[in-house]
Amino acid sequence: MGLVFKNAVEKGIDVIMDMRYRLKGFLRKPHNVILLVVFIVLCYLTLVPMVTMVRDTFLVHTAEAKRLKLPANSYTLLHWKKVLVEASSLNVFYKPFLNSLATSLGACLIAIVFGGSFAWFITRTNMRWKGLLSSLCIFPYIMPSWTLALAWYNLFKNSLVGGAPGLISAIIGVETPNWLAYGPIPIALVTGLHYAPFAYIMIGGILRNMDANLEEAALMLNTSRFRIMYRITVPIVIPAVMSTFLLVFSSAMSSFAVPTFLGLPVRYQVLTTQLYRTLNGLNPGQGYAIALLMIILGVSILALNQKVVGLRKNYTTVTGKSSNIAMVNLKKMRTPTSIIIAAILLCVSILPLVSFAVESLILHPGDYSLGNFTTQFWFGTAAQNSMANSEPGMLRNPKLYSSLWNSLKLSIVCAVSAGTVGFLAGYAIVRGRGSKLADYVNNLAFFPYLMPSMAFSAIYLSMFAVQRGPIPPLYGTFALLVLAGTVKYLPFASRSGINAMFQLSKEIEEAGLILGVGWFKRMTRLVIPIQKSSFISGYLLPFTSCMRELSLFILLMTPNNQVLTTLLYYYNEKGWNQYSNGINLLIVLIVISINFIVNKVTGASIDKGIGG
Amino acid sequence: MKANRILVLLLLLVALPGILFANGKTETPAPVAPAAQPPAAVAEPTFDELVKLAQAEGSLMIYTPSSRHAKVGAEFGAKYGLKIEVVQLKDAEMIEKVSKEAAAKLDAADVVFCQDGGRVYSELMEPGYVTSYTPPSLRDVIPQQYQNPQVWDLCTKQFIFNSEKSSEQPIKNIWELTEPQWKGNVQMKDAFGEGVNMNFLTMLTKPENAAKLASAYKNRYGKEIVLTTPNAGYEWIKAFYGNDLLLGKSDTTMAESIGAKGQSVQLMGLFTLNKLRTAKDKNLDLQTCYEVEPFSGFYYPIYCFIPSNSRSPNAAKLFIEYSLTEGYAAWNTLGDYSPNPQNINTEDPVQISQWADWLIYEDPAWVAEARVDVEEFVNTIM
Repeated sequence: MGLVFKNAVEKGIDVIMDMRYRLKGFLRKPHNVILLVVFIVLCYLTLVPMVTMVRDTFLVHTAEAKRLKLPANSYTLLHWKKVLVEASSLNVFYKPFLNSLATSLGACLIAIVFGGSFAWFITRTNMRWKGLLSSLCIFPYIMPSWTLALAWYNLFKNSLVGGAPGLISAIIGVETPNWLAYGPIPIALVTGLHYAPFAYIMIGGILRNMDANLEEAALMLNTSRFRIMYRITVPIVIPAVMSTFLLVFSSAMSSFAVPTFLGLPVRYQVLTTQLYRTLNGLNPGQGYAIALLMIILGVSILALNQKVVGLRKNYTTVTGKSSNIAMVNLKKMRTPTSIIIAAILLCVSILPLVSFAVESLILHPGDYSLGNFTTQFWFGTAAQNSMANSEPGMLRNPKLYSSLWNSLKLSIVCAVSAGTVGFLAGYAIVRGRGSKLADYVNNLAFFPYLMPSMAFSAIYLSMFAVQRGPIPPLYGTFALLVLAGTVKYLPFASRSGINAMFQLSKEIEEAGLILGVGWFKRMTRLVIPIQKSSFISGYLLPFTSCMRELSLFILLMTPNNQVLTTLLYYYNEKGWNQYSNGINLLIVLIVISINFIVNKVTGASIDKGIGG
Repeated sequence: MKANRILVLLLLLVALPGILFANGKTETPAPVAPAAQPPAAVAEPTFDELVKLAQAEGSLMIYTPSSRHAKVGAEFGAKYGLKIEVVQLKDAEMIEKVSKEAAAKLDAADVVFCQDGGRVYSELMEPGYVTSYTPPSLRDVIPQQYQNPQVWDLCTKQFIFNSEKSSEQPIKNIWELTEPQWKGNVQMKDAFGEGVNMNFLTMLTKPENAAKLASAYKNRYGKEIVLTTPNAGYEWIKAFYGNDLLLGKSDTTMAESIGAKGQSVQLMGLFTLNKLRTAKDKNLDLQTCYEVEPFSGFYYPIYCFIPSNSRSPNAAKLFIEYSLTEGYAAWNTLGDYSPNPQNINTEDPVQISQWADWLIYEDPAWVAEARVDVEEFVNTIM
C-alpha cells in the first residue's frame, strides 16, 4: 500500500517537475509570453462583454417588469421569442435580416467590381497618372461612411421628402426616381463604394506581386488574352477576392449611418437600424438579442474565412528574387481609359467634398443661386447666426477647436495603443504559428470587429461604471474612450502586424538570435526597421478609423471630451446643415492631410496596413 | 504539447472565476416610491439662506437638451457668483448617463433637465435616482399637474403645414390624414428616434383618448369604427402609418422640407412649433393647425430634477427657482411655454392654458406601462 502511494507521489513530483521545466521553456520564448498576456487581457475585454450581453438577453428589464408582472432582473425567454418565433418577428427580425443580407451582398459586389477593376488597371496596364489615381482610390474609406450617404442624399433627393430638390434634380430638371434616391440600391452603392478601397488594396496587392512569368508562359503557348485572364489571373486573385468579400460583408452588415440616411424616407429597415431602435426604446432585451445574432453571423463569416483562405503558409516577398511584371499595353485606348477612370474616381472622391463645401455656404436651403452664398457659417460671429441659436461661425467657434483637439488626442492615443499591441500580437501570432494559443489570440483579436459598435459601447458603459477589481470606475473618463477605441480597432492593427511579419523571412531574426542578440535589440534593430512602413500602417488604420468613428463613442462621450464626429452629429440632429456639412469637410481634409504627411515622412500608408 | 495544454487549462481555470464574477454587483436597485417632496417636518431655508448655501457649494453642473442653457447658465453664474458647467445631451443619452452616474454615485450632474416621461418614470424616478423640487414660493402658483415631478418647460408639437397658398388650416378632423388626398404628404419624426413621439402614440391608446378618436371617426364618417386592433387609438396609428407616412430624422429638416416655397403639393407635418421662430430667416412658409378634432397634436414636459449624486443640491434648487422665474426668458418663444403662469408667453397669442385643451399631454404612469406594447405594434406596421 505504502509502496503504491510512494510511487504515485514520485510520479506526481515527476509530472510537476516536467511541467515546470516545460513552462520555463515555454516562457523563455518572448512570443509565448506576449501571447499569454494578450490572451488573458483580451479574454477579459472581449469575452466578458459577450457574456454580459448574452445574460442580458435573458433578463427582465426594469421598464417591462411592471407590464410582464415579473420581478425585474429575473430570467425570461420572452425576448428571444419575440425576436425569433412570434408573428411580429417577421418585421422585427426576419425582414430587416434579409434586407441587411441584400444590401451587404450588393455592397460586396460593387466593392469587388470597382476596387478589383481599378486594381487591375493600375497594377497591370500602362494607364496614365497612376500615382495620383492610386491615392484617390483610398479616399472613400477615409470619409466617414455617412458622409458619402449625406452627399448622395444632397445630390439625389427628390420631392418625396419635400423641400428643395437635390442638386441633380435642380441641374437636369427631371426628378430623380425614388429607387435611385432611397432604399436598397443607393445603400448598396454607397456602402460598396465606401469599402471599395479594401478590394483595391487586397486585390491590387496580389496582382502587384504576381509573377508575370506565369502569364508569359501562357502567351508563348499562344493562349488568348481572355483565356489567360480567366484561367491564370482570376484563380490567383480568388483568395484576395474571398478575403475582401468576407471583410466587406461583415463591415456592411454592421454599418448604421448609411441605411439610416437613405433607408428611413422609404421605411427600409436593416438589422442595424432595428438594433438602434430597440436599444433606444424601453425594451433593450430584444436589441441585445438582435446584436447577439449579428455577432453569431459575424463569427460564422470569420470561421468561413479561416477555412477558405487560412493562415497563409508562405507569403514571403522580402527575399532575394525579383519578379517580372509585364504591363498590358492599352495603346490607343490609354488616354481615354485613363480619363474615364479618373472621372469616376473624381466623382466618388472629390464630388462629395464639393457638395459639402457648397452646402456649408448657402443661406437658404436648396437655393443654389449665387446671391444665396455666404461665409457667415465659417467666419461669422454669433450674432450673425441668430437662426442657428447664435452658434458662432465654425472657424471662430471654440467648440470646434476643443473637439478637434479631443479628436486628435483620442485618435493618436488609440492608434498608439492599438498599433503597439497589434504589432506585438502580430509578431507573436506569426512566430507562434501552429500552436493553439496563437490561433486563439488571432481569433480573439478579430472578435471586437464583429460586435456592432453600439452594443459594444453600451456594454463597456455598464461594465466600467462600477469598480472592477483594481480598475476604478472609468465612467465619464477619457480612459474609457481610449479603451473602447483600442479594443475595437485592435483587429486592424493585429492584421497588419501579421501581414508584416509574414512577409519577413524567419532567417533574418534567426541570424540575430544566433549571434546572441537579445529580443528587444532584435526587434528595434532588425525587425522594425525592415518592415517599418508596414508596421506604421498598423498605426494609421486605427488613427483614421478613430477620427471618423461615431457610434462607438457617442454613448461613452463626456461633455469635456466631445470629439469632432459627435459635434457633427449634434449639428446634424439640430438640422443646422451648413455646420454639419462644414465639419464633414474639415474631418475629411484633416485625415487626408495627416495620411499624406505620414506617408511622405515614413513611407507608410493605409494600403500597406490592410494587407496588400 | 501536453504540458502546454495543461498549462492553458490551468490558466483558464484560474481566469474563469475572474471572468464569470468580474461582472461585480449588477445594479438591482430596490424600487423606491416615486420622487417625493422633502418632508415638511424639516424646516426649509428661506430664499436668502438658500443663496448663501448655494454660494458655499460654489459650483453647478447642468445637464440639458437645450443649447440656450449655455448662455442662461452663464448669466445665473454671474449673478450669484457660481461656477457653471453646461452639458448638452439628447433624451435617451441623458437618461442613460444620469441613471448610470447616480447608480455609481459619481460626482457628475447637479441639476438635470430631461424629457420622455415614460423612461424618466421607470428609469430615474422609481429607482430613486432623482428627486423633484418645487420652490416654496411657487407651490401655490404653478398648477398641481406640473408639480411632482416638477416641469420646467412645456414644448408643443402640432400639425404644421405649408402655408404658401393659404394660411387656412386644411384639416378639421384628425382622421382626414388617413385619407387618400394626404397619402405620402404627411411627415412625422421617427417615433423610435425620440421618446416623446412614441409617448404621443402611446397616449392615443389610453382608453379615454381612444374613445375621443372613436367619436371623431363617427363624426367624420357617420358610422361606428370597425376595430381590427385593440382600440381606436391603435386603429388610427395603423391607418396613419398605412397612408405612406414619411419618417423624418430631425424636426428642423422636416420644417425646411415642408415649408419650402414653390412646391406644388400640399405638405403637412407633426413637429415642434418652435421651429417656426426661424421660418422667416429661412424663407419658409409655415402655419400651425389650431383646433382639430379631437387633437391637433401633443405637448410634452421637460422636467427638472436633482440627481441623488448631486454635490451641490442647494445651488441646484436655486437654479431651478431661477429657471421657473426670470431665467425662463430665453425660452419665451413660439412653441415653448413655462408651467409658471406668471411667465406669460409674449410671442404666441395662444397661451398654454388654451393649447392644453387642443393637445394631448403625457401621462408618465400610463406611458411607462403601455409603451412597450405600442412599440411592438409600431414595429409590426413598419
